[in-house]
Amino acid sequence: MVIEQEKMQRLATRMVEEEVKGRSPWADARKRFLRNKAAMAGLVILILVALFALFGDMLAVWSNEELDFSVMGQVATMGAPSLENGHYFGTDDLGRDLFSRTVQGTQISLMVGIVGAGIAVIVGTLYGATAGYVGGRTDQFMMRAVDILMSVPYMFVLILLLVMFGRSIAMLFLGIGLISWLEMSRIVRGQTLSLKNREFIEAARATGVSTWKIIIRHIVPNLLGVVAVYATLLVPLMILTESFISFLGLGVQEPLTSWGALISEGAGTMNYGTLWQLAFPLFFFVITLFGFFFVGDGLRDALDPKDR
Amino acid sequence: MFAYIMRRLAVAVPTLLLLIVISFVLMHLAPGGPFSQERELPARVLANLNAKYGLDEPLWRQIVNYVYSIVIHFDFGPSFVYPDRTVNELLADGFPVTLTYGSLAFLAAVLVGVGLGVVAAIRHNSWLDYLAVGISIGAQVLPNFVMAPILVLFFTLTWRILPGGGWSFSDPSFWIMPVIALATSYMASIARITRSSMLEVLGSNHIRTARAKGMPEHRVILRHALKPAMLPVISYLGPVFVSMITGSVVIDIYFSTGGIGKAFVESALNRDYAVMMGVTILIGALTILFNLVVDILYAWIDPKIRY
Repeated sequence: MVIEQEKMQRLATRMVEEEVKGRSPWADARKRFLRNKAAMAGLVILILVALFALFGDMLAVWSNEELDFSVMGQVATMGAPSLENGHYFGTDDLGRDLFSRTVQGTQISLMVGIVGAGIAVIVGTLYGATAGYVGGRTDQFMMRAVDILMSVPYMFVLILLLVMFGRSIAMLFLGIGLISWLEMSRIVRGQTLSLKNREFIEAARATGVSTWKIIIRHIVPNLLGVVAVYATLLVPLMILTESFISFLGLGVQEPLTSWGALISEGAGTMNYGTLWQLAFPLFFFVITLFGFFFVGDGLRDALDPKDR
Repeated sequence: MFAYIMRRLAVAVPTLLLLIVISFVLMHLAPGGPFSQERELPARVLANLNAKYGLDEPLWRQIVNYVYSIVIHFDFGPSFVYPDRTVNELLADGFPVTLTYGSLAFLAAVLVGVGLGVVAAIRHNSWLDYLAVGISIGAQVLPNFVMAPILVLFFTLTWRILPGGGWSFSDPSFWIMPVIALATSYMASIARITRSSMLEVLGSNHIRTARAKGMPEHRVILRHALKPAMLPVISYLGPVFVSMITGSVVIDIYFSTGGIGKAFVESALNRDYAVMMGVTILIGALTILFNLVVDILYAWIDPKIRY
């Protein structure tokens, strides 16, 4: 029997390496995600919108506060989108450049969405994981509190807050953050309940790891999939909430603006024949929501292939 | 069943009280009282105003009075901005309007949504299915404040067939756009939920048994599939109700329908705290009541729930 020792050795090392590398569930998920056309399209849209928000200002000829006196008063005829005078998206009824206003609105709306979802992720995950892991009376009390808060008509309370404490971006963030984590904490709690009796948690407990450390080091990392999916789907909901409030004129205040405020302006002036004022903000609003929904659905399908 | 309802009520009542107390305390935490204006009022005038509205009493006393008058007399007190009007009058003005188009929109969303979802599930992977899925994906990004201007753009400004705003109880053409604008996105969600739960139910064993017995397909769907498939839809009705009430604010503003949303936004812009709190509490009460009804309905339909 002639066996080439050297080749055998190589095969063995390769097999060991393969086994070590393996295919983690995350790699599998990534593959499935990359194969999902809708999700990839959504991702591309979101990247483009983000680039628009980050670098759109550099392309703008006019700032968002400048009034163009040459079109003022005759916006319907002179203020249409045009490359010549630098108003790529036209102007609004005051003669402000709609391109740079849309850039700014995009920045604010995205920021609200991401901050809102971020608060939900941090607060909701910790709250839900704590309630689920500690269990018993604490759990009941914590989740009952969530139940009660969820049955409050939050949009009205949010507007109440905004009116009483002044309409500022900070207040808007705080208000949206106050409500966004509720659903997240429920989902996380459910997931934690099914995690907490697994062997590795038992092992951690047996070796005397403190409760808090188990939650942070062992429970939370295992929740990442669910949290990531839910956070992606939460961003558009936060954007919707903010746009709703701004549409009513109770959200961000001039000179700041957001998609909701721009859509509201556009909707108010469309019967003067300045449709672009509605069309451009609406376009960005719609494609971004689509992008987030597609990416969120794609992530969910990728991480949970059974649930198709 | 009775015990279950009582238990749910035992949670609902404190929730409502908590909402009242929270909004009341918020009002007190707010910088500047309800009467602070750009021009400072003389101290005597302010003291008199506070005395008139009972704002000079200790906080706990005010809360007790407020809760007492709401619970016993259903009286939300006077408006802080319009001296001759009470919050009750302002609410009573708008409520019938909101109720009319709101319940129509709710019905439309549920009936069309469930219908679309069921048809899509029965004709799975047909063009009807794709159409229903397409509509429900598209309508996700068409919330009421996007639908409203788009509808007006087409029906009022382009085709000139519907009035662009206002309200009349006798002329249904005023109702159409508010109802569509309010219902569309929820109709889509309901259709999506119905479709996926119907698909799941249609794949289950008891449906196979029913078909194997030779039961006609329409009976299989109506008698055996629809009821269990409705459970996720029913639990979604609570959130829909809340969002629709919230959405009615946009409808009232955009279409000038004059429902309670108008009172709410006007009071928000005027800082008329009494009206804002009145609307918030009324809507909170409705929400809690509706959730109670949904829970009871759910418990009644789902045999698996032991209450």
